[in-house]
Amino acid sequence: MTPTADDARRACNPAHGTCESDENSSRRRFLQKVTTFTIGTLSLTVLPGFSGDEAGGVSSKGAGRDALSADQVPLFGFLVDTEKCIGSGKCLLACRVENNVPEGFHRTWVERYVHLKDGTVQVDLVPESGYAGSNLPTIDPDTVERAYFVPKLCNHCADAPCNQVCPVHASFTSPEGVELVDPERCIGCAYCVQACPYGVRFINPDTGTADKCTWCYHRIKRGESPACVEACPVGARLFGRIDDPQSEISKRIAEIGTDVLKEHLGTHPKTRYVGISGEVT
Amino acid sequence: MRRTACERKQTVKRILVFWRDIRHLLVLLVLIVAACAGFVFTRSRLIPRSFGQRSQYRADALDEIAAKPSVWYADGVCLKCHVDVQQERAESLHKAVGCIHCHGLGRKHVAGALKAAESPDFHIEPAQKWDGNFLTQIDLYVTKDRTICLVCHEAKVGMPEDFKKINVAQHLEEMGAEAPNSQETCLECHGGHNTAP
Repeated sequence: MTPTADDARRACNPAHGTCESDENSSRRRFLQKVTTFTIGTLSLTVLPGFSGDEAGGVSSKGAGRDALSADQVPLFGFLVDTEKCIGSGKCLLACRVENNVPEGFHRTWVERYVHLKDGTVQVDLVPESGYAGSNLPTIDPDTVERAYFVPKLCNHCADAPCNQVCPVHASFTSPEGVELVDPERCIGCAYCVQACPYGVRFINPDTGTADKCTWCYHRIKRGESPACVEACPVGARLFGRIDDPQSEISKRIAEIGTDVLKEHLGTHPKTRYVGISGEVT
Repeated sequence: MRRTACERKQTVKRILVFWRDIRHLLVLLVLIVAACAGFVFTRSRLIPRSFGQRSQYRADALDEIAAKPSVWYADGVCLKCHVDVQQERAESLHKAVGCIHCHGLGRKHVAGALKAAESPDFHIEPAQKWDGNFLTQIDLYVTKDRTICLVCHEAKVGMPEDFKKINVAQHLEEMGAEAPNSQETCLECHGGHNTAP
């Protein structure tokens, strides 16, 4: 028996795909496999290792606040008491010296809000070596309704916009909840400088990278206070663990009403303020 | 005979067709493997080693930032040696005012003191005169200049109610100061380390 044309077609069909019923079933099988493979691959991306947002359980989800053990990574907070600040500028000096901040740039600064009796608000900056001998025009106390100093620094937001925009993951939150910049990764694009609603970031002209308040990360890791806290002669700046209910800062926050700046932005700052009203932003 | 020859021919043809298709797939496989290897290699070169160990950042950066030395000394560093000052300041209103504010950073001074503790012959440089600048390069200074006091205490708008505010000219006139223009007027009445009202 010689092979018929039918035989030949059966033999060659799977490769050439000329038979209609075969073609249909193989296409279906192909689509089934592609779908399975695609779903399988995509499901890999939702594995814990891929989405890993550890960051010490920084309080956006409120995790890790209840259980406090001795070896737990501390979660830090900062409390600024505007009712105590005298505008001596000592913190500014300490910060510049400690962190080698170039002239003309600030990791922390102190604003003075002056509400005049004519209804206007005047805001100026405390000079670095204090008002004494600064030759700034003095304000007549009789024209002033109320006035106070507001020290400003990085708010170390739990949901920091600056982190989210960094294209190279140079901006990040440390396990202690401190917002840091990795100078080795930073490419100096200044995206974060624009993203920060509080204007605490700048491009350091010496390094060409983003620079900001770190709560003196190098000091707090050794158990010291940030330089500005150390320097303040009136205790207007308070630093400590906010995950420890026995710490001074936690007790004060529990006792008195504190506010954060620009709460409506939902950045959840960890720098809190005493005695500011809505006009301070 | 004819039949087997035909069958053999058919088998050869089938193998040839199979091989032709498989060859395409093999080339494709090699290309895919090469592309994957290239991707993995490039990725490993571009991403720093410690990246992603904790989260989406370079974990080594934490230690690098934390390794910076502390520059601003707490009072405890000074008072370790200057026990007399500590006693003097025990009752002072200025307990919370850091040594650095009136005497400079003292970086070289502390380093020298640590050296002197090991080799007693080491000479610690004495304090200098202040040049009137808070951002001065002078390591250690002693001064009675009233600017040091007035940087905090000069009355200005915005200070808290309960803070001691001074309008210098007015205050000196009230007190009947002999030399109101002297820069050393504050310490004469209020003392240095043991500041009293």
